[in-house]
Amino acid sequence: MSTALKDMIRNPTVAELELVARYAALKADARRERLFEAFAQTGLPGRRIEGWRWTDFKAALTSLDAPKVATARDPLARDGVATLRFTPSGYAAPKALPAGLKLLAKDDVQAMGGAEDAPLGALAAALSGGRTPATLLVDVSAGVPVHLHMVFEGPGAINAARVVFLLRPGAELHLSESHLGGAALSASLIEFTLNKDARLNRTVYQIGGAGEAQAITALIEQDAGAESVQTVLAFGAKVARIETRLVHRESGSKATLNAAYLAGAGLQADITTHVRHGAPSCITGQVTKGAVLDGGRGVFQGKFHVPRTAGQQTDASMQHKALLLEEGAEVFAKPELEILADDVQCAHGNTSGALDAAQLFYLRQRGIPLVQARALLTEAFIAEALEGAGALEEALRAEASAWLNHAA
Amino acid sequence: MDCCGGVDEHDETCTEVKVKDGIDAGTVAAAKRLESENYSAGFVTDIEMEFAPKGLSESTVRFISAKKGEPDWLLEWRLDAYRRWLTMVEPDWARVNYPKIDYQAFYYYAAPKNAAKYKSIDEVPKEILDTYAKLGIPLREAEVLLGVEGAAETAATAREKPRIAVDAVFDSVSVATTFREELKKAGVIFMSISEAVHEYPELVRKYLGTVVPATDNYFATLNTAVFSDGTFVYVPKGVRCPMELSTYFRMNAESTGQFERTLIIADEGAYVSYLEGCTAPMRDENQLHAAVVELVALDDAEIKYSTVQNWWPGDEDGKGGIYNFVTKRGDCRGARSKISWTQVETGSAITWKYPSCVLRGDDSVGEFYSIAVTNGRQQADTGTKMIHLGKRTRSRIISKGISAGKSDNTYRGLVSIHKKAEGARNFTQCDSLLIGDKCGAHTVPYIENRRADAQLEHEATTTKLSEDQLFYVRQRGIGEEQAVALLVNGFVRDVLQELPMEFAVEAQKLLEVSLEGSVG
Repeated sequence: MSTALKDMIRNPTVAELELVARYAALKADARRERLFEAFAQTGLPGRRIEGWRWTDFKAALTSLDAPKVATARDPLARDGVATLRFTPSGYAAPKALPAGLKLLAKDDVQAMGGAEDAPLGALAAALSGGRTPATLLVDVSAGVPVHLHMVFEGPGAINAARVVFLLRPGAELHLSESHLGGAALSASLIEFTLNKDARLNRTVYQIGGAGEAQAITALIEQDAGAESVQTVLAFGAKVARIETRLVHRESGSKATLNAAYLAGAGLQADITTHVRHGAPSCITGQVTKGAVLDGGRGVFQGKFHVPRTAGQQTDASMQHKALLLEEGAEVFAKPELEILADDVQCAHGNTSGALDAAQLFYLRQRGIPLVQARALLTEAFIAEALEGAGALEEALRAEASAWLNHAA
Repeated sequence: MDCCGGVDEHDETCTEVKVKDGIDAGTVAAAKRLESENYSAGFVTDIEMEFAPKGLSESTVRFISAKKGEPDWLLEWRLDAYRRWLTMVEPDWARVNYPKIDYQAFYYYAAPKNAAKYKSIDEVPKEILDTYAKLGIPLREAEVLLGVEGAAETAATAREKPRIAVDAVFDSVSVATTFREELKKAGVIFMSISEAVHEYPELVRKYLGTVVPATDNYFATLNTAVFSDGTFVYVPKGVRCPMELSTYFRMNAESTGQFERTLIIADEGAYVSYLEGCTAPMRDENQLHAAVVELVALDDAEIKYSTVQNWWPGDEDGKGGIYNFVTKRGDCRGARSKISWTQVETGSAITWKYPSCVLRGDDSVGEFYSIAVTNGRQQADTGTKMIHLGKRTRSRIISKGISAGKSDNTYRGLVSIHKKAEGARNFTQCDSLLIGDKCGAHTVPYIENRRADAQLEHEATTTKLSEDQLFYVRQRGIGEEQAVALLVNGFVRDVLQELPMEFAVEAQKLLEVSLEGSVG
């Protein structure tokens, strides 16, 4: 490796040097270089960086040796839905696609806006390529369902994927994503452009082991009248970050960003969102619920940014509520508001604590054992965050319920 | 919008501020009164001063220490801090912007000539007495509170007639401390920290730097190296301090920085209420103020600390003003102790200030009540930290931010529940109000919970007032919005009423402030 490459990251760790080597092995490309440089400014982000104080990738990734993990099941896989697969054997898509859906697997890297703000998104973009497309463009012009299946077990300790969705005016995309991990570091970047009146329903399922790191970064830009509904169910990993950066570009745009996380021992789940109200009269609603066991950590970081003049008549609300199911659990939250316009409504709320003892008592005196009572109440607690998933709500609730009855 | 030729976007030169409907006119007027053009404390006292050589070096530190005739341990402590400070980097995480500070451009010590502490009030130069009188702080005990004559004979009579003892700090030195003798009768030590170093060295040495260590942060380390004066209070076991104590900080000299250090210790079962006020002349240059305040509350003790901060904020274009970088921390060291911070922040060009509570003792309580008003080009980044270490510790944070003009007002707070803080509780409420469309209000709360049996609530809207209260007011025929305003106002008033009003003229003006139209 040349010295110039080695010097890209200041005081690199073993894992960071491997990332540099992986980058150097990919096809040279000016855009790729720019993206990797954006990542290299911070390197693997860790607690010394404000937005990563509770989610330390640098410390978690001591090396990039492939962890031994069992192949995860994909609970969102459905017959008859166009499924785009990113697996150790590469990228695969169905031959026949429904009307209104076009795929373009590009060999060259596309530019990414705001790469400096999302170092692991930039890393995903910089390392995409090789057996998968450098950029997979998905053009949606009608109402279609699509499933993204991402699993990286096996050789290849680092895995990266990048998918860019363009929703044409009035198009409607029902997207489900299963991020099943399996590599020491799985990084994906999913981008969405919603043209006028386009609709996006995005459901994300994430699961990972105690020996791996996952970063799922989504960038969403919405034009006039566009609407997105996002539902995340995350089980975490050694470190797992599900980050969504959304921009309301034109007025009348609407977004719902809901998430539920369930973190067991040795696992960490981080839900981070950044919403910019870049046009007047846009609406954002956000409900995040979490439950954490002994040795687990839940992180919520939300930010509404309402710029001067452009952000007038913003209506935004952010709620984060978490349960610490056992002693030894940790929940860290930072619900942030940055408001530079005066005629707006922005609210945020945050609570964390134990299950209500009175409710538990009520169930137990009905003869329901403690473990089951706790599972029941926790499931009811997080249910609100999963309501937006539509047809997939049941599948998500079933996963949550299974976890609560077995792990918890 | 009628300004800027009727176009929607304001340009940078437009001075007209449009206030949205629904914002209480009294609030707008109250904020307006706090604009810099109405700053009444901006005069300069013409008095001969003695300075340390300009700039900061080891010899500056030695100069200050020598001026105060300090013992070696204190000089060493200062020098260690200075050497460490040289290796530190100025923090940049706060939401404030200011040009790089040239630390060599200030005088780190400025005192009225021959001011090695005046023996009696009669020796204090008339200019200084007049200065304080003009600010509403009479230093002659007989003049304190109209109608009260002379010093009371005993602590018991003092309790019946509430008065305020004042330590007056003029630039780098304490020039007068009132009611000292009388407080001494009750066993309360109230004097400048420079005197305390000589008179009670063991007490000072035992507590100084134990709450805010010399290594704490950039500005605290700087303060440790160059602190010039401040107030020392010790309230012995079981004593309820017979009067309010206060310090009035006045910056006067040009190109000086003020670096005071306050240390308050409430021994077991003691109670003390302490106030501080700050003003400075209007100048076109920026002046630096980096203070450290340390509070120690032992078992069952209570400290109430109130601040009315009204440093010169700079003019409406952002010229001049004080850079206020302050580290304030209280240590609830004993079981069932309580520390309560109340602050009314209206001044300073830049405010960087997070009065905090370390809730170490079991069942200890921390409180933070804050009203911050920014105008012109002021930037305030203020809030609190509540560190829950002990069992059943409780904290409450109420913060109201009001931004006007082209100012920015940020609430930044941390609530941290540690692993052993069984049954800890916190309630946080922070509301912001924007007056006009050119200012900003920001909320950056950090909430860290490591206990399942902790109960943490954070909210940032006015709509979550008690349903019962709201119902009560509404069933009297008062509309919902008015009812909310009434209740919130009622609360703000509660906070302010804890401040003695004769001391806090600025705070009174804020009484009319309503949070109607709050944005969250």
